[in-house]
Amino acid sequence: MEISDLIRSEWIRLDMEGESREDVIRRLAGLLDEAGVLSDMEQYIADVFEREKVGSTAIGFDVAIPHGKSDGVKAPAVAFARLTRPIRWEPGKEEQAQLVFLIAVPKAMEGNEHLQILAALSRKLIDESFRQQLMEMSSPEEVLQSLQNGS
Amino acid sequence: MKKLVAVTGCPTGIAHTYMAAESLQRAAEKMGVRIKVETRGASGVENRLTEEDIREAHAVIVSSDVDAEESRFQGKTVIRSPLGEAIKNGERLIEEALSKPSPSHEEPVKVAKEDREEKQSGPYQHLMNGVSFMIPLVVAGGLIIALSFTFGIHAAEEEGSLAANLMKIGGDSALALMVPVLAGFIAYSIADKAGLAPGLVGGMLASSTGSGFLGGIVAGFLAGYVAKWMKEKIRLPHSLEGLKPILLIPFLATLVVGLLMIYVIGTPVKNVMDTLTAWLQSLGTANAALMGLLLGAMMAFDMGGPVNKAAYAFGVGLLGNEIYGPMAAVMAAGMTPPLGLWLATQLARRKFTWEEREAGKAAGILGLSFITEGAIPFAAADPFRVIPSLVVGSAVTGALAMGLGCTLRAPHGGIFVLPIPHAVGNLTGFLLAIAAGTLVTAVLVSLLKKNVSAQEVQNGNQ
Repeated sequence: MEISDLIRSEWIRLDMEGESREDVIRRLAGLLDEAGVLSDMEQYIADVFEREKVGSTAIGFDVAIPHGKSDGVKAPAVAFARLTRPIRWEPGKEEQAQLVFLIAVPKAMEGNEHLQILAALSRKLIDESFRQQLMEMSSPEEVLQSLQNGS
Repeated sequence: MKKLVAVTGCPTGIAHTYMAAESLQRAAEKMGVRIKVETRGASGVENRLTEEDIREAHAVIVSSDVDAEESRFQGKTVIRSPLGEAIKNGERLIEEALSKPSPSHEEPVKVAKEDREEKQSGPYQHLMNGVSFMIPLVVAGGLIIALSFTFGIHAAEEEGSLAANLMKIGGDSALALMVPVLAGFIAYSIADKAGLAPGLVGGMLASSTGSGFLGGIVAGFLAGYVAKWMKEKIRLPHSLEGLKPILLIPFLATLVVGLLMIYVIGTPVKNVMDTLTAWLQSLGTANAALMGLLLGAMMAFDMGGPVNKAAYAFGVGLLGNEIYGPMAAVMAAGMTPPLGLWLATQLARRKFTWEEREAGKAAGILGLSFITEGAIPFAAADPFRVIPSLVVGSAVTGALAMGLGCTLRAPHGGIFVLPIPHAVGNLTGFLLAIAAGTLVTAVLVSLLKKNVSAQEVQNGNQ
């Protein structure tokens, strides 16, 4: 399994006009749902917000990684949005987000290969030059390419 | 080069755990520091820290919203930080970790290495885990009882008074939890979660059947190994496997341990106690100093177990017959174990972990209050060296107290009985007996105990 098994170019948006955390998560989840990755989109979104309650997933550097392990997910998947301008991720909090990775993981799944890949993706986001690339890229294919490099 | 270790973890365990790990690793690399990061995410514990990693580390960074098994880091400088902080400010955390002094630089590495083999072996680790969880209960319970005594030693007899409630908090609750927690966390260390319930229950039974902390240690190991065995050996069809950790092991392990504690440990312990009590009564007119020696030794032997209880009950029983000598020996000899250990932690710092040195301060106060339990953490951690030292010291105290004709009319209270008129007969002799036993115990403990191993004291300066 590789990162390209988890993300497709149709799930990448480089010019999303996101208004709020809810809005962005809903739109990204919609992309996954269209592709048949989700069995129950509302359940999945509810689980993602459950995770947000535990602690904001905006990690700084204008990056957010909302995620949910959910019964509403059939197969592990990642969707990505670059917003046209940074939004305040959580009402009342400082943290902003412009690069948003939405991660979907089925609750019960054998093996942990997909977890390893998501861990590798998470680690890459700590790299400043990688984030810079994401800000500058002009096509979803380029994003896919850079995600694959070195992972 | 300085070395650090870190643990990162989060409940979902998909992203933050690894981001924090990466951030710390990058920051460390940039700053020329070696670091090893254990991650606790959805795929389990990865890159697990070894004992050696921890021992060599200058400091530990814990950035985890899940249990990081922090008891591993006992004696280490630990920096705790939220995950978000580790992700955003890895460098600041590394800087903070480096700026903290590593504890106990004075400990010589060479001696430490010699002892390590012995001390790090499995059962010792499990025992120490139990002791370490027990110490706060002993300290809290003991000090709260002492606080109750400050209202006068009979104040707690008045139902509903503050003194009585303090006794309820300190004695009936905190000290009552001591042996269950000791047993529970010995078992937890052996068998993880599966061991905790049978361990706690076994410890409770050790208390209620009168076998005290020694029975608690037995219960802890019993529960731990029974639960571990069940965890590893019981095989169920896949569809029923889920029942094992939540139903089968708690039920069966607790049942087995409970029955063993009652029928195999409890019954003989009761017999021992009955026999000793009858024997003490038959001694009646024996030589006073010899009787004191015996009572003193018994008080320190198992601190709350059957031998101690037989001696104590004997002393208290005679108060009703207006015979006050044995009670003086019993109380004085019950005060010296914690007092002697307090003195030993002052005299021979290297022989004790930092946790024990801290507990030593409280033990002094507990000793003064005749709360012999203050010595239990030390005795449990190193029974074969500590218990004989306590027994000899207390025997000396008991013999002197009765030999010098001391008497005592109160069954508890420690130094709080001293201001009560006529409570103590031959006060000078009484204090002398306590001082002598304290000194004997402290010297013996200092001589017998070995230096603590590198793992507990930490030199972390590689």
